[in-house]
Amino acid sequence: MGYEDLYREYEARREKALAMGGKARLDRRRNAGILNARERLDYLLDKGSFLESGLFATSARPGDRDDTPGDGKLCGYGRIGGREAVVIANDFTVKGASSAATNMKKIAQMQRTATERGLPMVFLGESSGARIPDNMGGLGMGNLLANSPTQYRRLRESPWASAVLGMCYGSSTWYTCMSDFAVMRKGAVMAVSSERLVSMAIGEKIDGESLGGWKMHADVTGLIDQFVDTDEEAIDAVKAFLSYMPGHCNEAPPLHPAPKGSDEAVRRIAGLVPESRTKVYDMRKVVQAVADKDSYFELKPRFGRTAVTALSRVGGRSVGFIANNPLFKAGAMDAQACDKIVSFMVLCDSFNIPLVFFVDNPGFVIGIEAEKQRAPGKIINFMNALQLVTVPKLTVMIRKNYGQAYINMGGGKNADDVCAWVSAEVSFMDPAFAVNVVHGREGQRLEVDDPALFKAAYEKIQQENSVWDLAACYAVQQVIKPEETRDWLQRMLQVHERRLTGGIGRHLLSNWPTSY
Amino acid sequence: MAREEIQSEVTGTVWKIEMKVGDAISDGDTIMILESMKMEIPVISTEDGKLVEILVKEEQPVSEGQAVAVVETA
Repeated sequence: MGYEDLYREYEARREKALAMGGKARLDRRRNAGILNARERLDYLLDKGSFLESGLFATSARPGDRDDTPGDGKLCGYGRIGGREAVVIANDFTVKGASSAATNMKKIAQMQRTATERGLPMVFLGESSGARIPDNMGGLGMGNLLANSPTQYRRLRESPWASAVLGMCYGSSTWYTCMSDFAVMRKGAVMAVSSERLVSMAIGEKIDGESLGGWKMHADVTGLIDQFVDTDEEAIDAVKAFLSYMPGHCNEAPPLHPAPKGSDEAVRRIAGLVPESRTKVYDMRKVVQAVADKDSYFELKPRFGRTAVTALSRVGGRSVGFIANNPLFKAGAMDAQACDKIVSFMVLCDSFNIPLVFFVDNPGFVIGIEAEKQRAPGKIINFMNALQLVTVPKLTVMIRKNYGQAYINMGGGKNADDVCAWVSAEVSFMDPAFAVNVVHGREGQRLEVDDPALFKAAYEKIQQENSVWDLAACYAVQQVIKPEETRDWLQRMLQVHERRLTGGIGRHLLSNWPTSY
Repeated sequence: MAREEIQSEVTGTVWKIEMKVGDAISDGDTIMILESMKMEIPVISTEDGKLVEILVKEEQPVSEGQAVAVVETA
C-alpha cells in the first residue's frame, strides 16, 4: 500500500468527518436560517486560519464510532482580527453535542492551551448536556466526570467569550457562566437542564422561553451580557468584545486609533444633561458623547439599569465606563446594579482596562425591598472589589452625588484622580431630607408644615453642597466644564498609565467567582 | 403577539401621562412621568408594539412593581 491509498483513505475519512451529523440534519438547520458549527467557525475566524484539533476524533463507545464525527464538539486554533485564539463550537447535529469521554478530552486540551499559553477562548454553545448512556451509573460518572481539579477554576489568565446559539444545557451553560462575556441569540435557551427534564421532574409543563429564554437572562438573572437576533450578530459581538481585550492578562489592551470626528459629540454634551436637578436624562448618551466614535459596547443593558457598564475607547485606549443612569430610578443603585458593577470591575481589572466613573445619583436605593435583596452586603461587596482594583481609576462627578454612593462611585481616594463638572453637588443626603432631619420632628414634613423655614434652610444647605467646597479641600482635583470631559479623560489616561509595569495591573480580582 | 405589562420602577405619584392608548410604541419610549424622590421619573417601555392599556390616572399614587400600562408586542 503506497501513499496513494493512504491519501485516499485520509480524504474519505476527512470528508466523512466534515459531513457532521448528515445532510438531513444540516438541511433542517439551513432552512431554519441557523448556521451549523462549521459555518459559525468560518464566520468567526480570519479566512483560512482554522487549524482543527481532533477532526478524526469520535465517540469512545464502539457502537457509536461510525456516526460521531468530531464527537460532537469541534475545536482548534484560529485567528480573530489577526490574533491567535482557541475556539470550541458545539456540533448539535452529532448527538446533540452532548458531553462524553472523547470530547471532554478535546475541551480539556483547549482549556489547557488557552490558559497556559495566554490565548483568548471562544465557545459557540449549543448542547444537550451529558451524553446518555455514557455518563450513567457509577462507572459512567466515575470515569467521565469530575476528573479535573481545574476545569471550573477561573484565574482569568486570558479572556473567554461565549455565544449561546441554541438549546444550552449542561456543558454549554457551564462554560457560558464561566466566561467573561456572553451573548445570546434570541430564541436560544440557557438553563441547567432541558424543559423536558424539568417538566418530568416537577410534573408541570414548562416552556423553554420561560425557563431560560433571552428575557429571563436580560431582565432577571443578568447571566448574559448582550442579546441579538442572528448567529452572525452574536459572533460579531464576540469579535467586538475581544477587540477591547488584550490576548492575555499580562498584556495591555490593543490600541485602536480614534476614528475621525471623535471630538465632535462632546461639544454638545451640556445639552444632554438638564441643569434642573429634578429632571432625568439618559446617561448612555453622555458616555457615547465622550467616547471615541462608534466605540460603545454596553453589557447587561436591561439588568440593573440604574447603572451603565460599557466597554469603550477614549483616544484609542480601552476603558470601562461605570455610570449611574438617572433615567431609571433617578440613578439610585439597587442590588442588581451593584452585582453588575462588581462583575464589570472584575473584568476590567483582570485585563488591564482603566475604569472611568460617571456619577449622578441620589444615593443607594433604600427600603424594605432593598434590604431583602441584601443591600448592605451588596454595597460592601462593591467596596471590597473597588479597593482591590489596581487598574487606573478616574472619576467624573456630573451632578448629584450623595452618601455612601459617593464613596462607591470612585469618590475621594477611591479613584486616582477625581474631577467635577461645575454642576456637581455633593453631600451626605439630599438637601430636602437633610432639612427635615435637622430641623423637623418625626412625622413632620417641613415643606408643608413650615414652608418659610424649609426654604431658608434648603437654600443654605444647597449652597454648601456645591462643588466649590469639595474643590477647596482638594477632594476633587479639577473642576471642569462638561465640554472638557473628553480632553480631561485622555490626558488623565496618559498621566495614570501604569508605566512601572508596562500597563499591567496586579489582578487582585482575577479569582473572583464568575457569574457572581 | 403577547401582552406585556409595563411596571413602575419606583413608588411615587403619576404626574403626566405622555402617550395614549393605541399609540405605536418602541423600547425606550416614555409612557408617563411620575413624581418620586423629588424627581421626574419616566416610566419607559421595555417593549416594541402598541400601547393597549393605561392602568393609572394623573395624580394617582403608584407603588414599585405596580403595572401601569400594557403593551401588545408585535
